[in-house]
Amino acid sequence: MSYESVPGYRFETESHGETTIVVETDRLGDAALHFRDELGFNFLADVAATDYLGWNERPVAGYWGSGDGRDINKPGSWGLARKPEPKHARFSVSYHLLRLASGASEAPRVRLQIWCEDGDPVPSVVSVWPTADWHEREAWDMVGIRIEGHPNLVRILMEEDWVGHPLRKDYPLGGEPVRFSSEE
Amino acid sequence: MAVVEQAKAKRIYEGSRIPSPIPTILRVDPRLHEDGDILQVNFGPNHPSTHGVLRLIVDLNGEQVVGLEAVVGYLHTGFEKNMEQKTWWKAITYPARIDYLSFQYNELAFVLAIEKLLEVQPPEKATWMRMLLCELNRIHSHLIWLGTGALEIGAISMLWYCFRERDAVLDLFELVTGTRMHTRYFQTGGLAEDIPPGFFTECRKFVDYFPRRIDEYEAILDRQQIWLERTRGLGLLSAEDAIALGQTGPVLRASGVDWDLRKSEPYLAYDQVDFNVPVYYEGDVYDRYRVHMDEMRESTRIVQQCLDGMPEGPWIVDDRKIVLPPRHELHTSMESLIHHFKLVTEGYRVPAGEVYVAVESARGELGCYLVSDGGPKPWRVKFRAPSFVALEATATCMSDALVADLIAIVGSLDTVMGEVDR
Amino acid sequence: MAEVGRRKRLADYGLHSERLLMKRKPPGNFESELGELEDKLMLSTVEKAVAWAQGHSIWPDTFGLACCAMEMIAIVSPRYDVARFGAEVFRSSPRQADLLIVSGRVAHKMAKPLRQIYDQMLEPKWVIAMGACASSGGMFGNYAILQGVDKIVAVDVHVPGCPPRPEALLEGIVRLQEKILAGVPPAYDIREVAS
Repeated sequence: MSYESVPGYRFETESHGETTIVVETDRLGDAALHFRDELGFNFLADVAATDYLGWNERPVAGYWGSGDGRDINKPGSWGLARKPEPKHARFSVSYHLLRLASGASEAPRVRLQIWCEDGDPVPSVVSVWPTADWHEREAWDMVGIRIEGHPNLVRILMEEDWVGHPLRKDYPLGGEPVRFSSEE
Repeated sequence: MAVVEQAKAKRIYEGSRIPSPIPTILRVDPRLHEDGDILQVNFGPNHPSTHGVLRLIVDLNGEQVVGLEAVVGYLHTGFEKNMEQKTWWKAITYPARIDYLSFQYNELAFVLAIEKLLEVQPPEKATWMRMLLCELNRIHSHLIWLGTGALEIGAISMLWYCFRERDAVLDLFELVTGTRMHTRYFQTGGLAEDIPPGFFTECRKFVDYFPRRIDEYEAILDRQQIWLERTRGLGLLSAEDAIALGQTGPVLRASGVDWDLRKSEPYLAYDQVDFNVPVYYEGDVYDRYRVHMDEMRESTRIVQQCLDGMPEGPWIVDDRKIVLPPRHELHTSMESLIHHFKLVTEGYRVPAGEVYVAVESARGELGCYLVSDGGPKPWRVKFRAPSFVALEATATCMSDALVADLIAIVGSLDTVMGEVDR
Repeated sequence: MAEVGRRKRLADYGLHSERLLMKRKPPGNFESELGELEDKLMLSTVEKAVAWAQGHSIWPDTFGLACCAMEMIAIVSPRYDVARFGAEVFRSSPRQADLLIVSGRVAHKMAKPLRQIYDQMLEPKWVIAMGACASSGGMFGNYAILQGVDKIVAVDVHVPGCPPRPEALLEGIVRLQEKILAGVPPAYDIREVAS
């Protein structure tokens, strides 16, 4: 299936049987409507925001096997330090979509993804899929993605007056210091 | 299994009842402020009937609910941040505590996601055993739902009956894994240990007497006039609204949508067992109760088929890069010793990538979005919790509800606050 | 201290907790400490009667938070039956409850309601910190979880486990009973925790 007609289409990737379509951040509203109305993805399963700060800084040592699979004839980076592919921006927001039809025997899924930097406004998809309401509030609360056009963007999991966005990579784990622990 | 024919069921309601502009908050009609006497009541986080620490701010006009807002976050645990700091092996301990009623589903979602990234296929025995334990988890979760839900509506004795059976299920878990709850039995590549002898006999005994227990529960509740009056016609949710609000699981199936991930996106070995998916069309609390009861029966059938069809063989995959070698080999093989050492000290690596795996837990679609950077620790783990989404539907279900119905409706959505807040 | 006739100690009545399964076990730490306390406190007969009544009718408050709450509900179930120890009903209102079993992880957002519930309980009141998360933060050493509920309320008994088996929680309740019977004051009298 070709997704090139999606408004704001940048590129698509496919891995592990999943298709990811990346669109321009400011065209997200149109892209969402296109997915729901033209392509029939009427169900939004999840909105996952990720912070990639520090993604490509240090090489990850000693990965056994290659990125294509576990083939003993392809040594890949056995024992050598290797950096993962750099990412496009600091934050990504992935919208996991599903075409849900009563009685259907297959479940086509697709991931709609946008990339943004700290402080960039991301259009809200609440008018397209009402279930995004709390998911976007969680993305704001935990990762600090500023959702534009959300009717009620307040913190949902932390207290209303909490400062900071806990799931960012520069936010400390917290808790009490414990001797002999390897965490921050 | 009784499925009401679609032709016979009347339309639930016309149009959409999702409140606007905010889908999850029911706002009081401004006209009522002048005519009526609006009282704002707080169903605080500590309430015997809110299934955990849920806070509902409810506006009442007499007995009728005219405004509703749900406040969550009182059990926010920071699972996702904690799991980013642990190696893949240690991180498997955490998900079980997210949905603490059907604990092995969370482990299953996480482990299946890791296996998808690793592109490793566990052996048949492990797959079938995972299926068996997950169906027992579904029964466990539904029993607790029924016991506590009926307790809140007033059928207090159901609590004791359901918990009697729940202890039987937990005995089975203890027999296999060594502990009643939070078993951490699933491992990347299969199961943590082999299935102990004696489990299958005990499981068969359970499966033999359990359907009669479900008959008992139905005999108590199904045609009880008070139960019917308190559950029929309440908490209506139409199919379109349910899909728009992202509902899955029993809530969706009670609204008339025939959707079950075990049938439409079979994982584990669900395409090799025979079971039905109960669907009801009225979309009220009674139908959700019926879906739960029928699902318990179907789960018992699946467990029976798993017991009959359990294959022999290894319980974990043979790949020494992710699985510890058997102990006796450490005395003879140098490679095994090195693998053991590396796995225990550093842990295995999972290739870089992102993946989303969804399983049909007792509450609906439990998804795990996993991002790996190729290292020994997860980069990002996000769980798509069905209860989080189910609570978004409280405002929609609450039209024309009375205070007493509020409890029944929130109970029927089958929410577990550990999942909602993570 | 002169011994004016040897009074009967709890141990003579049969201290439940440690002798139940291990008949030939010598007195453990808990028993010997409790015995010393009993001697020092020297309760009068009236005080003993009051302690007997209080100890044998501790009514818990429904404060179930997370997974431990499931095992707490399990002690009400017919197999473990906490009613035989006197905790006949779980009261929903803290004003009617004696015992607060903090079962589950306490997020910082929940700490304020927890303290409010504790304040609404009438003296004498006891607190059991059930499970690893309530005792010390458990496996969640992070920004969201209160690292041990004894930072905000005074805890009498900590019950270890994740989650503790219903029998373990019953052991905790029984030990609390024995503490009360021995005359040990509730924890808020001993420990100054945000009082």
